[in-house]
Amino acid sequence: MGDFFRSVKFRVILCILALLVGVMIYAVSMGGYTISTVGIFNTVAAPFQRASNAISTRVEHALQVYGDAEDTFEENRALRREVAELHTQLSGYEDTRQELEELQAFMGIKERHEDYTLSAPCEVIGFVTNDPYGAFMIDGGEEDGIHLYDPVVTELGLVGIVSELGAQTSTVTTILSPDLNIAACSSSAGDRGVLTGTVALSQEGLCKLQYLSRDTKMKKEQVILTTGENGLFPRGYVIGYVKDVQPDDSGMTAYAAVEPAADLSGMAKVVVITDFAGKGRLTEKEAQTDADGQ
Amino acid sequence: MLTGSKSQERRHVLLQIVQWVLFALLIAVCFLLETAGSFLKPLLLIPLALCIASHCGEIQATAVGMIAGFLIDLGCGRFLGSNAVLLVIFCVAVSLLYRYYLRQKLLNIVLLTAVCAFAQGYLDYMFCYGIWGLADVGLLYRHVTLPVSLMTTASSVLLYFPVGLIARKCGNRRTYELEKMPEYRD
Repeated sequence: MGDFFRSVKFRVILCILALLVGVMIYAVSMGGYTISTVGIFNTVAAPFQRASNAISTRVEHALQVYGDAEDTFEENRALRREVAELHTQLSGYEDTRQELEELQAFMGIKERHEDYTLSAPCEVIGFVTNDPYGAFMIDGGEEDGIHLYDPVVTELGLVGIVSELGAQTSTVTTILSPDLNIAACSSSAGDRGVLTGTVALSQEGLCKLQYLSRDTKMKKEQVILTTGENGLFPRGYVIGYVKDVQPDDSGMTAYAAVEPAADLSGMAKVVVITDFAGKGRLTEKEAQTDADGQ
Repeated sequence: MLTGSKSQERRHVLLQIVQWVLFALLIAVCFLLETAGSFLKPLLLIPLALCIASHCGEIQATAVGMIAGFLIDLGCGRFLGSNAVLLVIFCVAVSLLYRYYLRQKLLNIVLLTAVCAFAQGYLDYMFCYGIWGLADVGLLYRHVTLPVSLMTTASSVLLYFPVGLIARKCGNRRTYELEKMPEYRD
């Protein structure tokens, strides 16, 4: 084997390794923009990926139906019990109606926000392999008017942001990822916090609304909305629902486990908000602050 | 006699082309399987690249490792080249080990895949998650990295046979070389 390390072959392999390290450093320096050759590869591979993903999604769904049969049965029983309870609590229907009106109002958010410029619906062409936060690829890119860090949504709620941009495809980082920090507030109580992903909660498909005041009035099932303060996300878009409120480890603040309104694991189509009122406001402010400082 | 050797040579070249086309198809299928669905999956390209490397020379192993590594980078959303560097090193090492020391046995490739899969998994975990010191980050190793490494190792059993069959049918027989004995002089 000693001869190998003195051979031309070994030198050629070393040169290839050096080239690969160079490619890696170049890819790091691109800061979220896909290398053009990769973009071409993604364009070629996209139809095949779409086809294989469609097949596996159907198989996954079919298996889930059989796998969840027991859960569905239990859920059905629980729902029947719930219906019976609701019948007995009919006297309190006024509260229920009010709650329903609130929910209807949130469903109409999209219609009320005329300032949004939306991309054409983008198909989910594949999920990032073994990503714990469910990042995925869509068939829309720079050519479709999508920009890096644009918010990605469904009609149900916020999904994430465009974290890598190619000419015809993009990668979306979901709100389960710790890489994302979103200024958020509750719909009624007015509590504000920062919504981010955590390793532990992401395993259950939840995210964390942190830095809430210790005596927060936030309750289960309350709707969490974007505040739009950082200019990355539009104001008042539904993120999810409060699942649980707990004091933080330090005891100084509280946090809420938030269940995303959009089904992050079973999405087929999403829409990218390419423009909205207040977009990039913080960036301008920061620029102003920098200018003032100088 | 000369005509016979020419036709043999032509047949050998043709078989080599068929072999590499089949390997390319296997690589494409494994890539598609890797990127389909949102559930945890084995990184099939690792055992496939190692199986192919065990049947070919060092330069071919470099090329296979580079392609498979790039595809893993694309599928897993990692920086382009990070897995390619690792797989090139592993593929060349596997090719050399098979040239000088190892024989085509299932256990050998399973063990080599295990070493490669766990090394790749640990490095990926460290550089993508561990390095940031997030709370409960160990959960990711137990719930994502470890199962993926185990599945990857297990999948080498499935890929060993088709790759071996292609290599055998296409007449790619490895020649084993003995290391030169050092010369002793009085």
